[in-house]
Amino acid sequence: MNRLAVEFQGVSKLYGQAAAVDDVSFTIEPGTLVTLLGPSGCGKTTTLRLLAGLEPASRGRILIGGRDVTALSAAERNVSMVFQSYALFPHMNVRENACYGLRAGGMRRAEAEAVAREKLRQVGLAGFEERLPGQLSGGQQQRVAVARAIVLEPEVLLFDEPLSNLDAKLRRHVRDEIRALQQTLKLTVVYVTHDQQEALAVSDRVIVMNAGRIAQDGSPRELYEQPVSRFVADFIGDANLMPVTVCGIDDATASVSLGGVTLSLPRRGLADGTAELAVRPQALRLAHGTTGPVLPGHIRKVCYLGSHMEYEVVLDGIAGAFFISDPDVVRPLVEGDAAGILVDAAAVALVPPE
Amino acid sequence: MIQTSTSIRLLAVAAVGAAWLAATPARAQIVVYCGVDEDWCRGMVTEFTKETGIRTDMTRMSNGEIYAKLRAEKDNPRGDIWWGGTGDPHLQAADDGLTEPYVSPMLPKLRDWAQKYAEVSKNRTVGVYLGALGFGYNTEELARMKVAAPACWTDLIKPEYHGEVQMADPNSSGTAWTVLATLVQLWGEDQAFDYLKKLHHNINEYTKAGAAPALAMGRGETLIGIAFQHDVIAVAKTGKPVQVVSPCEGTGYEIGAMSLIKGAHHMVEAKKFYEWALTPAAQALAPHFGSFQLPSNASLAPPPESPDLSKIKLINYDSAKFGSVAVRDHMLKRFNDEVKSLPR
Amino acid sequence: MKRPERLWLALAAAALVVLPWYGLEDTVDAVLALRPEAMPALGQAAFGGCFWLLPLLLAPALAGWGVARGRPRLLVAGGVIGIAWLALEGLAIIHRGWGWDFLSVLGPAPTQPALGWGALLFALSCAMLVAIGLARLGRCRGDVFVVAAILLTGLSILLFIGLPLLSVLASAVRDDAGHTDVSQFLHKLTDGSIWGFGCLHGGGACGSAWNSLAMALLVGVTSTALGLAFALVAVRTRVRMKSLLGLLSILPVITPPFVIGLALIILFGHAGMATVFLADHFDIPRSRWIYGLPGIAIAQTLAFTPIAYLVMAGVLQAVSPSMEEAAQTLRAGPWRTFRTVTWPLIRPGIANAFLIGFIESMADFGNPLMLGGNYTVLSTDIFFAVVGATHDQGRAAVLAIVLLVFTLSAFMAQRLWQEGRSFTSVSGKGDAGLHPPLPGGLKALCAAAVLPWIVLTVVVYGIILGGGFVVDFGRDNSLTLKYFLTAFSIEHGVGGWFLSGSAWSSFITTLELALVAMPFTAGLGLLTAWLLARQDFAGKGLFEFGTMMSFAIPGTVIGIAYILAFNVPPLELTGTGIILVLAFVFRNMPVGIRAGLASLSQLDRSLDEASLTLGARSFRTVRLVVLPIIRPAVITAMVYAFVRAVTAVSAVIFLTTAQYQLATVYIVGRADVGEDGMALVYSAALIVVMVAALGIIVLLVGRQRIGRRGLAAGNMGVGVA
Repeated sequence: MNRLAVEFQGVSKLYGQAAAVDDVSFTIEPGTLVTLLGPSGCGKTTTLRLLAGLEPASRGRILIGGRDVTALSAAERNVSMVFQSYALFPHMNVRENACYGLRAGGMRRAEAEAVAREKLRQVGLAGFEERLPGQLSGGQQQRVAVARAIVLEPEVLLFDEPLSNLDAKLRRHVRDEIRALQQTLKLTVVYVTHDQQEALAVSDRVIVMNAGRIAQDGSPRELYEQPVSRFVADFIGDANLMPVTVCGIDDATASVSLGGVTLSLPRRGLADGTAELAVRPQALRLAHGTTGPVLPGHIRKVCYLGSHMEYEVVLDGIAGAFFISDPDVVRPLVEGDAAGILVDAAAVALVPPE
Repeated sequence: MIQTSTSIRLLAVAAVGAAWLAATPARAQIVVYCGVDEDWCRGMVTEFTKETGIRTDMTRMSNGEIYAKLRAEKDNPRGDIWWGGTGDPHLQAADDGLTEPYVSPMLPKLRDWAQKYAEVSKNRTVGVYLGALGFGYNTEELARMKVAAPACWTDLIKPEYHGEVQMADPNSSGTAWTVLATLVQLWGEDQAFDYLKKLHHNINEYTKAGAAPALAMGRGETLIGIAFQHDVIAVAKTGKPVQVVSPCEGTGYEIGAMSLIKGAHHMVEAKKFYEWALTPAAQALAPHFGSFQLPSNASLAPPPESPDLSKIKLINYDSAKFGSVAVRDHMLKRFNDEVKSLPR
Repeated sequence: MKRPERLWLALAAAALVVLPWYGLEDTVDAVLALRPEAMPALGQAAFGGCFWLLPLLLAPALAGWGVARGRPRLLVAGGVIGIAWLALEGLAIIHRGWGWDFLSVLGPAPTQPALGWGALLFALSCAMLVAIGLARLGRCRGDVFVVAAILLTGLSILLFIGLPLLSVLASAVRDDAGHTDVSQFLHKLTDGSIWGFGCLHGGGACGSAWNSLAMALLVGVTSTALGLAFALVAVRTRVRMKSLLGLLSILPVITPPFVIGLALIILFGHAGMATVFLADHFDIPRSRWIYGLPGIAIAQTLAFTPIAYLVMAGVLQAVSPSMEEAAQTLRAGPWRTFRTVTWPLIRPGIANAFLIGFIESMADFGNPLMLGGNYTVLSTDIFFAVVGATHDQGRAAVLAIVLLVFTLSAFMAQRLWQEGRSFTSVSGKGDAGLHPPLPGGLKALCAAAVLPWIVLTVVVYGIILGGGFVVDFGRDNSLTLKYFLTAFSIEHGVGGWFLSGSAWSSFITTLELALVAMPFTAGLGLLTAWLLARQDFAGKGLFEFGTMMSFAIPGTVIGIAYILAFNVPPLELTGTGIILVLAFVFRNMPVGIRAGLASLSQLDRSLDEASLTLGARSFRTVRLVVLPIIRPAVITAMVYAFVRAVTAVSAVIFLTTAQYQLATVYIVGRADVGEDGMALVYSAALIVVMVAALGIIVLLVGRQRIGRRGLAAGNMGVGVA
């Protein structure tokens, strides 16, 4: 299988003059789980619906399994979708819901029921076949929705914020189940979420979208460690963003000055001038009397989180504040204490200014 | 699955319906548009079918409705013959060329007014009965109000009947138009309108439909109702406490008419009905169905219940003049401007 | 997937070579007797001299070529040519020669009768071929069902609403001889009897336009206010009166027109029971106050309040309790909560209920006729312009235009106002919570409004149901069966039992026609609703507008319009049962549309979408997912379609024939000659039969089974919106 499972070629979706999706192109390898991530209104759900065939594209081409499906309706595309609301048919029981797609495809009833039963067993719903959706818990409903989608063995399986109606504990569990299922069945999955943690946890690749365009497309690690823009850096994880001035460049690295400390960072194509520094909280440590390039400052806010402390530190001579997490909960600092900060240059990224 | 059965049921119902529509029975031999009341209409066509074996379909409507239907259908008439109902729409249809000229061999045997009607319409319509105009009062209301019974047109403008007289609006009703025409012919135009202005103070409502005052009188909703005498008698026949009055000054009348519809699909059979309807036998049926107009066949005596013609002073009604559009428009405009707009 | 085009191609061909092309009075007999006029189109062209039918062959030929070559464009072309030529030759050559005068240069005119079963099937097949072709070209995402539904619904709306209305409205600018005369139109339009202000200064009467407007505004307000009061009492108090209100709400809908007016006269007329009682015992002078605006307003409010109640009850139930709970936790008392949260949330519903009351009142004909007195309104003026002594159809058309302008502006105004103001708070989950109690004052106010009203309704219906069994209500109250026996007696004669009562024939015909019309009305209405709610296509606004037209016009106009449009070939339908069914279907279709739209707007779109992504086409989705879930709306649409067909009078008074006498026309005929007892006994029988029929329909279509998280599908019995 070396052909691509999904290919978007310059796809746009216009509502009147406004573009919900603006000239988006990407590809998805078979057997991978790709997440569309972004804040509400960024176009990620529209992109998913374009792929499902629920919205016609205004421009561009969509290919599934190498076949141009741009003009085809949802029913003719070999994709199935798990909806945010699950969209279980309330008047059909679990078995009828699961059989629905197979029967629509013309499969005989007995055969369809056998297949559906097997998939229901796989998602752990054996014995619930005759229940109505209204008689199931949220998690069970979600599994019915998944079973109903995977019985068709679609080329691409789509998830639209599948966890948003579950409580926090269940969310983590179901998230792992979906990932496990995807890997066992070698499914190609496109997954939409606005939760960056969820995206990092389940995905082979993440496509971050902003204002209808792709902001960055890469592995979870790339996104986290090498955000290409202030937007991505800010959206993925908590980042301390600081405007800095690039003071020297060579082939691979750029030198920036932060407070009194000069950091040498991967250049990533930046030129001289201003840039933005994205510093993850875990790249910073409180200097408990250690030597080295310490940035001096003082504590402005303290927050106790059980497993660790979170501090907001104001540095001398620099506008803005840094968030730092510190494992030492036994001897916490208090507001107003002087504190020095150590920066681990390996976890700091330079991004172009907005 | 349970849910499929809904659509199957729907389809089944639709299929049965379509089959039912497809199996509509064949049309009958002649179609009669009938402008009098249901019983009389029904009785006439049943008797005709019995005697001639020609199947008849009868549609009963008010005469105004029949005229409207004739106009709408003029490119492809559905009816064959139009029997009964007040004569003005018949004359108007004759004027519009919606009906067929025909001279019946029976014509000379008819009373003068019926023959004259045929003449006026250039033989497109003929009189079948005559109904005198008049009014009536509710006897129980009269007793309750302790007032004297009216006997003449001029009684109706007395102050004790204030708000107790009902009459139809000549703009919408042929009956009321006959009232207007009768008064003008009795007294001359200006004096008639003087009278109407005074009458206006006593009128509680100008009804839309001509028969409405008689009905309202039957229900006790008005003391006095101006209507055709046979309408008042018909209401009395249903058991209402109603007394008919033939005005002492004399009165006008309507002529119930009959016309062959132009382009009728079954003209031969329609003419048979036409001839039959003018026979004494057919005209003698009317009282059996509670209708007491004067028949047009001269050899037939009027039914005993009908207002005694010797006691009614019929005016010499000028159908030609008061059937014309110009006269009508003029009179109606005068009525609307000078009478109807007055405060009461 | 080449099956549908092959099927319709075969049907188009069969329509030309097998089925009798022309409509005859006795088609079945003619076919069995092999009479030449029953030949199919090909036969007529070859042996009957109807050479102008030959080009019709182009349609299947082109389409067949298209199917063989896989060229959808040819399918479209074939279908369009077929329909266009059918319409052209049908209009050009009619039963009495050339259809258009200018064609006489071609020489003496051939003639042909009206179109028959063959032509009908041919037109349908051609439309389907166009639809399939368009779908194959990628229209509507290639979904044949959607394209066909849009095309067929659109064509039928054009044919059975647009065409008749145009033909009647065109008469507004024509004089008696049929020539266009705009000055006469303007003269009629500016007539004082329409626009006069006489009532404002001294004794005169106001124009019927102002009267209608005042009446409609008044009735819109009263019926909405009462409906809201009823809904508040039923939904927001612990008074157990839901079932009583349910019964009361259906009664006016199944009551034949005129009868409420008649009952009010028996009660409050000059010699009415209540009037006489008050005069005898309390010396309150008798008066005719009931005739005029007060009487019309009471009768119409009686009739339309239940509809407002249904709308308002649905809206009140849809307000999420959590909103009101939120207000309460923010220190708002019951009154403040109602005023600042509940009221704004239900305002769109109030606008909707008002609009319905307004339009119904404008178009109502029976009550103003019965109780109008000297208060003239447009709907009765239209009727008497047509059938009255002046016979002025042009004036009727002008009045109809005025009335249409009023109703459609109200419709548009409501639309504009509601835009962006519809706060649907049903989300399908998390709606736990309790509605707060009503403020005490409001509760008392509602009860004070509702209780007398219930008493009045019960008395009025007591008169309607019982009036046929006493000799003369109010004068002679002894019981009698004579009216009932005259109308509904069954006798044993030579051939066994037979129905000898005078009412049976119209009674049975009415039920038959209403039953036939019911599935078509509901089906077409719901299909249209689905297209409007779920599909995007060019001309959608016009489409919706067209469906509203027939609702907003008084029935009399529709009746005349149908005769004008369908009395002559190519579509000759008058005198058949079909035209009555068509009139019912297209006049009552808006009820199905509103019920469907109300349900569909509450139905999460993702259910349809889920079905689509599972590989089900639109048709399957509609059949298996949408229809079962909106079943309450299906029931509502069917019920209303049935009862409105039974109680219709104004639209059908011109369309009835001897074979198709209808119950309401019979009732009007009885009331016309003062036989109130007969009218009442017949109405009572109709009401009883309709209640029974409704029960059966509800049983047949079945009840909805929906779990505790039923996606808010539960409370959708609320149909008319």
